[in-house]
Amino acid sequence: MRLGSTKTVTERAIGLGALVLAVLAPLIFSDYFLNSILTQGLILGIGAASLIFLSAYGGMISLAQAGLMGIAGYALANMVTQRVPGGETKGLLLGWDPTLSLVLVILFTTGVGLVFGAVASRSFGIYFLMLTLTYTVIAFLFVGSVTLIGGFSPVAGVDEYTPGFIGDIVNDRQRLYFIALISAVGVYLLIRYLVRTPFGISLQGIRDEPVRMASLGYNVAFHRTLAFGIGSLVAGIGGVLYAWWFGQLSPTIMGLDATIQLLVIAVIGGLRRIEGAWLGAIAFLVINNEVTNRIPASGLPVIGGTFNTVIGVIFLAIVIVSPDGLMGLWDRLWSIAGRNRPPRGSADAQPATEASG
Amino acid sequence: MKVARWKLLLPLAVLAVGSTIATSGALATTAQTSEVRVAIMTDCKGAFAFGYEVDTAGTIAAFAQYAGAKPKNKKKPSAGMTGGTAGGKRLNLVGIGCGDETPALALKETRRLMNQLGADVMIGPLSGDEAVAIANWAKQNPQKTVIIGTAGSQDPTMQIAPKNLFRYHGDGAQWNAGLGEIVYKRLGWRTAALIGDDYSFPWTSAAGIIADFCGIGGKITKRVWTPPTGGDYAPFIRQLPRPNQVDGYFWLVGGANTSAALTAFEQAYGPVNARQHSGNLFLYFLGANTTVAPRLVGAYMGGFGTFQTGGLKTPQARAYVRNAGKWFTGQNVNDGFFYNYWNAAWALVQGLNKSNGQVGAALQRALPRSIKPGFQVANNGVLRLDSRRQAIQDQYPLQITKATGTGTVTTTIAGYVPNVDQTFGGYFGPSKKAPGRSVPACTRRKLPWQGKIKVVKNGVITNQVIK
Repeated sequence: MRLGSTKTVTERAIGLGALVLAVLAPLIFSDYFLNSILTQGLILGIGAASLIFLSAYGGMISLAQAGLMGIAGYALANMVTQRVPGGETKGLLLGWDPTLSLVLVILFTTGVGLVFGAVASRSFGIYFLMLTLTYTVIAFLFVGSVTLIGGFSPVAGVDEYTPGFIGDIVNDRQRLYFIALISAVGVYLLIRYLVRTPFGISLQGIRDEPVRMASLGYNVAFHRTLAFGIGSLVAGIGGVLYAWWFGQLSPTIMGLDATIQLLVIAVIGGLRRIEGAWLGAIAFLVINNEVTNRIPASGLPVIGGTFNTVIGVIFLAIVIVSPDGLMGLWDRLWSIAGRNRPPRGSADAQPATEASG
Repeated sequence: MKVARWKLLLPLAVLAVGSTIATSGALATTAQTSEVRVAIMTDCKGAFAFGYEVDTAGTIAAFAQYAGAKPKNKKKPSAGMTGGTAGGKRLNLVGIGCGDETPALALKETRRLMNQLGADVMIGPLSGDEAVAIANWAKQNPQKTVIIGTAGSQDPTMQIAPKNLFRYHGDGAQWNAGLGEIVYKRLGWRTAALIGDDYSFPWTSAAGIIADFCGIGGKITKRVWTPPTGGDYAPFIRQLPRPNQVDGYFWLVGGANTSAALTAFEQAYGPVNARQHSGNLFLYFLGANTTVAPRLVGAYMGGFGTFQTGGLKTPQARAYVRNAGKWFTGQNVNDGFFYNYWNAAWALVQGLNKSNGQVGAALQRALPRSIKPGFQVANNGVLRLDSRRQAIQDQYPLQITKATGTGTVTTTIAGYVPNVDQTFGGYFGPSKKAPGRSVPACTRRKLPWQGKIKVVKNGVITNQVIK
């Protein structure tokens, strides 16, 4: 057996082990850990996966993904909630059928993403970054300012209006965990499949050599727009799950902090490999939770900070020690062991290698 | 590529230690039944970050006074407490939530405190939108009990009103009762514009002013709402009518932003005339006593139903100030944040004593439907809760003044409005829309206290009514 395939086999074994652990998680972990760390981690991981997909395979670092998640969440919240005594007080309270609303929300978010993508598709680098950040800021200010659909007060009760096949996720949080798990696996497989299709291969070509691909006759802007639409679809799924998990939506879930949070998750996990999305999300949430519990809110006596300080230090350490995040650390582990040394600068090429093989 | 060994080992070591620590808290634990687990929810970030120590001080001071707890550090309330029993159970302060006035963080913190740290009861939150979120959370978690700390939005105890949520102080509207009538009668206002932050507390706060001012015959000619995130107020100030087009302005812009908004007003329309300005507690509290109030000496304002200095001269008020003031140094027990958290914690001790330390439904049944807080005068000093577990409290409109001698800007009590209920005598209701940008409408209506607001002189309530 070649060493390269040894790594693949090892990774698959770890992946399978992680999946088994994930399935058994309700038996192992406390309810709080299952709900607030693992379920939330799977959901934020989906959001981060949409970012990593665009970054790793499309060369587009998008700051719009948190905004798109928020758009999906707000659309769902306004469609499904209804006015009842002792109940919700904000939003349109349309009271539409939850299953229909779910379909509409995914279509709507993907549509919005395609429009966003079409506008940004001819921008690269810092300009693309700024444009996508603008989308999130617009979305944040829109839902905050248009009090008819929300305002800064929370739109509540979203988790009480779920489709029949989803069931009661208010009283049965394990159900939501498994829904998030299935969705995360589905998103992972979808992305793995997509990057191996002709579209995925050409997208990676556009990532590496957009001018050459254009001269070969590929429509660069169209491919980038389509990729952004797919990223929006994934973010939309994440947004729906996040709305169900939160139960209540307020604009801060799509604000600047949320955007940075998703980026930090992606960087901690690793911007080059999809698996890093979930690894980064769970690591981020565990650190957040532990720091909040263990460090007084008045701050650390030496550096004067709280969670933001700690996560900032970790972020810096990762950028310095392993720019490809935790997944990059894993790759380095193999590299240092001398078993499977990737060629220098292979990080950029890795997804393409995966896609071809 | 040669990779330095430390670059590999360091992060791996960090990961290993981190995972060990994290996993230690991840596994299920069993709560002690010999204790009652209590959490405080307040803010340590954002515009209300100062509330962290004040709210905690109010809570722990009440536990010290009524349950035998001892503060760990008299100068730093957030250091926590030791001891303390109620209903035969030990009070265990399991955590202090750190919000930033946003509903999302309030919800995450509530889940952390209640679900992870296993609190049975939470005292808090501090801010309006946080309370809306937590009221919705409480509705889905009936076994947990929430006593609002000092949040003033109407929805939690009016439209949402879960049975496990209690509030022993007024909402933002109640805190402004009587203000509209005072400016109508004393300053001759007939038309006014209002400007406030665009979220639930200022909406509720404005609702109280509108009900009062319009109820007696005034007209609100313009309502301008600004993003609570702050920023440049000039465009919003320009939406207000000019000073010669309106008799006065009601200010409901929150926290540190009030000063910036007032500065934008001065830049647009020149120096302010205090007789033309009024507003809610944001004119003096939350640090505005040094930035806003000095520019508005003489202006009337709402409050919490408390006073900064020179408070009521009643035995009940004196006893409260004496008792509350002995547990921490540097805390102003007249501050509404301290006072409201104190009353919440005191009510909890009473409830636990009655339920013999039982929590959940037993505690919710046992929590008192009336208490005797320091600044209540009506009903022989008894504050009652209504059927939705919301306080019916006395209210004291304030006037910004300069203390004689020192020249310090302070507040004096301008009037006494007894027994202000959350519905304003039916003006608001659970089946009516919650306050919003255009809710309620400005309509003339007889409020229960109209024409009955008493004059207060030197802390003594007189029989004279405000004319």
